[in-house]
Parts: sequence; structure tokens; C-alpha cells
Amino acid sequence: MKKLFDLLKKIFKGLDIGLREVSTSLIEKELEETENVFALLTMGAFAGIPSPPTGIILRILPYMQREIYVMIARSKNIDDALAEIVGIFSIE
Amino acid sequence: MDIYFFLGKGGTGKTTISASFSVGLSHYNKDSNFLIASLDPAHNLGDAFNIELSNKIKKLTENLSAIEVDLEKMIKEYLNDLSTNLKYTYKYLTSFNLDKYFDVLRYSPGIEENAVLESIKKFLKMNEFDALIFDTPPTGITTRVLALPKLTLIWTKRLMDIRRKILDRRKMIENVKGKTEAIIGDEVITLTADEKEDQIMIELVNYSKEMEDLMKLFQSDLTKINIVTMPEDLALFETKRIIESLNKFNIKVNKIYLNKYLIFDNPPEVIEGKIIEQDRVIEKMREEIKNISIKDIPLLSQSPRGIEDLLKFYDNYILE
Repeated sequence: MKKLFDLLKKIFKGLDIGLREVSTSLIEKELEETENVFALLTMGAFAGIPSPPTGIILRILPYMQREIYVMIARSKNIDDALAEIVGIFSIE
Repeated sequence: MDIYFFLGKGGTGKTTISASFSVGLSHYNKDSNFLIASLDPAHNLGDAFNIELSNKIKKLTENLSAIEVDLEKMIKEYLNDLSTNLKYTYKYLTSFNLDKYFDVLRYSPGIEENAVLESIKKFLKMNEFDALIFDTPPTGITTRVLALPKLTLIWTKRLMDIRRKILDRRKMIENVKGKTEAIIGDEVITLTADEKEDQIMIELVNYSKEMEDLMKLFQSDLTKINIVTMPEDLALFETKRIIESLNKFNIKVNKIYLNKYLIFDNPPEVIEGKIIEQDRVIEKMREEIKNISIKDIPLLSQSPRGIEDLLKFYDNYILE
């Protein structure tokens, strides 16, 4: 009985995690893209796009490690952008 | 606190006029304390006062002090601190050679303008002075510096909107899945969704407030922008350009000093053309620049040097 109860507990927990993942995956993707845009706007010098006044960059640069990390990870996968979109929308 | 800026083309006499202005103002307002600061990388304020000046504030009289700001040193010190801080913060990203990128920050476009603005901010924070007089770098840099607070505000507003969107999305995810964690290098960090805890948002808000205060100050009557010019076509064009570009940012020009004005009862033949140009430019200037008072200052046989000479110059040509 206890084993069955544990199994059911595991199944429901798995379902809960799965549903939560599905419900947030799009928001997570949007978040990642927004973080990437923020990094591109503020670290535009990397990609040769116009940058904000230097004062802003100098002020926020010490706290930008997460955004730079996202930007670099994003640029690594840029060749496979189409596959990524297809993956997000579960197109088969 | 009153702020006086002296702007103009190179060689028009900004330093002499600003130095004389500071001497006169301090002489006739003994109860107030004044500071004159040269923000021009090619300093010659010390030459006008006939006193050696440096990057440290020096008392010239009871209530007048002067400084030649070493912008190069300021940029270097600022970036050294920042670079150390960055290399520590970004130690997990050294594999991307980002630390080398930080070393080239010194050559970022706009770094000089930022240093000039930071320097102005530093003097504004000092409580010991009642008025600041700035002898400025060439026109291009100065107009950009005066416009910088408004431009920065446009950017900070936009960046704060994007940042808010990031934090909103993080909050949504946090509500469903708990705190968001990110792996950076070998370290797991918890990402905040709270505006009051997000360091980037905090910096953007603070910087935006600082710039808004500066913008309001530059647009207020406490800031007096004075253009020093000469009765020549090119100087007139530049004067008009300064007025126009500052107008775009709602910054008003207070006064124009028309310096090096030639006075001859019987001009020698060799400079007759110059006198004609001068008269034409002056007429045009008075016709085209209506709401700004223009003060004529003649070309002197010898430039005033030292506090005594500068006070005489003030009494004779600047005092109204």
C-alpha cells in the first residue's frame, strides 16, 4: 500500500513538474530573448550596433555577467535559430 | 549654486574672459566662495592667472579658488577601479577573453564627455562654493556634455522598460517554479525578480535620477551659458550653431562676449578688409541673435595676466 502511495506521489509530482515546465517554457524563452536584447543594447560594441552613452554602460557593467552569458550562449546557437523556434512551438 | 560656463571656438579668449569674470565676481561678492575650473585638456588657466595650477584646488584669493582638472588622470583612475571590479566579477568569463575587452574601455567613444560630466558632478557636490565657473574644452565636446543628461535619460528610460519586462517575466516563472537559478561558470546564482534587489535596475534608477537633476539644473536659470566669440564669419557660424544645438535640449544661452573687436580711428590699409568683415559680422549678429545680450570687448595690445590685470579687465569690459 505504501509503495503504491509513493508511486502515485511520484507520478503526480512528475506531472506537476511537467505541467509547470510547459506553462513557463514560452515565458522562459521570452525572458531569455529579452535578456539577450538588453545585453545587445548595452553591450552593442560587441556587435557593432549603436551603444547608449558610456556613462550608463560604466555604471551597469559590473552587474551584467548574467546578460553577457546569455548573449554569448545565444550567439553560439544563432545558426540554428529556426530549429529553436520549431522546438518552442512543438512543430513536428 | 550658480554655474557659469564659457564656451566658444578655440582662440576666442574663453580662458581670459572666464578668469577675469571669476576674479571680478569674487572681488565684488566677498561673502561668497567661488571656484573656477578648467575642463579643457589643453589647460592655460594657470597662464591667465600667472600662477601654476594643478589637479588640486588652489586658493588664489580669500574667496576664489582654481583648478585645472586632469581629465586623462581621472579617466585612468576611474577605469582602473572599474577594471579591477569587473575582472573580479567576471572571473568566470575569462575563458571568453572578456577581460581584454575591459582594457579597451579607455578608448570607448564618449569617454571624455563622460569624464567632463563626472567632473562637473563632483564640483556640484562640494558644499564649500557658492558659484562655479567653468572654462570649457572645445565647443564640440562641451555642447555634447551639456546635452548628455537629456540623451542619457532617453536611454535609461528605455533600458528600465526592458529591465522591468525581464523582472516581470522572472516573477511569473518564480510564481510557478520558484526562484530562478542560473549557472555562470561553475557557480549557481539565484536571480532576483525584485526591482529593489536587482543591481542593474538600482543603478539605472540612480543614474537616471542623477541625470534628471543635472538636466534640470542645466535648463534652469542657475546655469548661465556664455559664448565667447570674435567678429569673424566662422566664429559667427559657430556661435549660431552652439545656440541652435543647445536650444534643442532647452538650454538657453545667457550672454555673448564679442571679443577681440578691432577699434581704429584711421585703420591701416592692410586691415581695412578685416574691419569691413568685422562690421558686417557684428551687424549680422545683432540682426540674427535677438534675445541674447552681446557684450563687446576690444582687442587689447596686451592680454591681461595675473589677478590685478584680470580685475582691471573685468572693471573695464565685463562689469555692467
